[in-house]
Amino acid sequence: MRLPIPRKNKLVFRLALRSLRQAVTKTFSELDFPGRLIAVEGLDGSGKSTQIHLLKKWLELQGLKVFFSSWNSSAMVKSATSKGKNEHLLTPTTFSLIHATDFADRYERQLMPLLRAGYIVLCDRYIFTAYVRDVVRGCSPRWVRGLYHFAALPDLTFFFKADLEVSLGRILDGRPELKYFEAGMDMGLSKDPYESFRIFQGRMLDRYMGMSEEFRFVTVDANQPIETQQSFVRETVASRLNLETFARQKVRAV
Amino acid sequence: MTAGNTVPSKRPNIIVLPPRTKRRFYGDGIPGADLETLAGKLIVIEGADGSGRSTQINRLVEWLEGCGHATIQVGLKRSTLVSDELDRAQHGNVLSRTTLSLFYATDFADQLENVILPSLRAGMMVLADRYIYTLMVRDLVRGMDEDWLKNLYGIALVPDAVFYLNVSPEELVQRTFQKNLALDYWESGMDLGLTRDMFDSFLKYQTLAEAQFKRLQSLYGFTIIDGHRPMDAIFAELQQRIEAVLAGTPA
Repeated sequence: MRLPIPRKNKLVFRLALRSLRQAVTKTFSELDFPGRLIAVEGLDGSGKSTQIHLLKKWLELQGLKVFFSSWNSSAMVKSATSKGKNEHLLTPTTFSLIHATDFADRYERQLMPLLRAGYIVLCDRYIFTAYVRDVVRGCSPRWVRGLYHFAALPDLTFFFKADLEVSLGRILDGRPELKYFEAGMDMGLSKDPYESFRIFQGRMLDRYMGMSEEFRFVTVDANQPIETQQSFVRETVASRLNLETFARQKVRAV
Repeated sequence: MTAGNTVPSKRPNIIVLPPRTKRRFYGDGIPGADLETLAGKLIVIEGADGSGRSTQINRLVEWLEGCGHATIQVGLKRSTLVSDELDRAQHGNVLSRTTLSLFYATDFADQLENVILPSLRAGMMVLADRYIYTLMVRDLVRGMDEDWLKNLYGIALVPDAVFYLNVSPEELVQRTFQKNLALDYWESGMDLGLTRDMFDSFLKYQTLAEAQFKRLQSLYGFTIIDGHRPMDAIFAELQQRIEAVLAGTPA
């Protein structure tokens, strides 16, 4: 049964409901944005950054409107984030909040306007990174999801699933100096940064897998060769997006 | 008993140890924080600029320390983590609403974890010059989602007492001019675009804020203090109410 709503409050009521429901449960296409957001998620060393770079190249060469945004890159928030990280000032809560601040800045000033202007926006990590990482750090899942409630869901999310040993190997072989927060050293998992990193990454992988179905991740086998993965990514994008609609308008000579 | 009336004597008064009370967070709180160990009291003074907050806090510090309680003061935008960045962001007016809101929440969380909780654990009286309510009011006036804000500030510890110094917008204008001879851009809510006239905007904005404060008061149950009265009368009321809090019998 629906309760009658006083006429005066109807509009306000509807707007309030919309702002609550719009986010998180809907994608940009479901919200009638002309643009589309494609996100890549996965552990460090899963090769997702390489894949999104190759995807960007392919889309750009077709003359499409493409924009790339990476996690933790807002200029305004950067100085606070690096100060917090360098001086080990961050707790799980402030770590989570400062990344949410960074995300909000990019979301409101970059992603949203571009999606309204009909761009294909490529995101190296999206809200799922926070869902996974902040919760593994100890924040409440409900609280973290609530923080990002203002953000709509990607239209397409690729999850790069590599065996834990493979992604660990890629990171540990190439860059033996692990950063403090990257290794999850703040969590006191182990005094050994490498061991700490292993445990931390393992827990994140479990969290990613747990939400894969809920958020309709398209899983990519990241143990395969780069080319094989990229073919799959390009095919998926071509089948899910009507790419012609994102063509840059030719500047006509008068 | 007021500090001013105490006759100096050689034998010190007995310093009363405030009893511990049950503590909780508004929501999910800070992960891993042990609430059982928080011995001190958290007392919050809310109110607009010019409502007399800092005057009263200074007097409360004198009085509480005179009674033998260690005090510490916290306020908004005082964290080591982001206060400089917040200042810059506000100066340039470059951040959008959600971003600014989260930035302030980061500042709050940093102080909560690094100052408020450790000080309470050490048994201190923490005097907060504004708390999450001001932050929520600012955002509510700007149309942000209330449920989102409640979740965000679910990290906050429920204070032992919250006093809202209520002063009418007309009186705030007069006090602000007495002090600064100019209205502040943010305190006038100029970013809302209510009107281009700063004086009108100040009155409108402060009226909106007052309404939101009163609404939050009904949700969070803080004490409204009539801020139009003389400073001494306000202080006497605060003293009386805080004594009750310290005795473990808040009104």
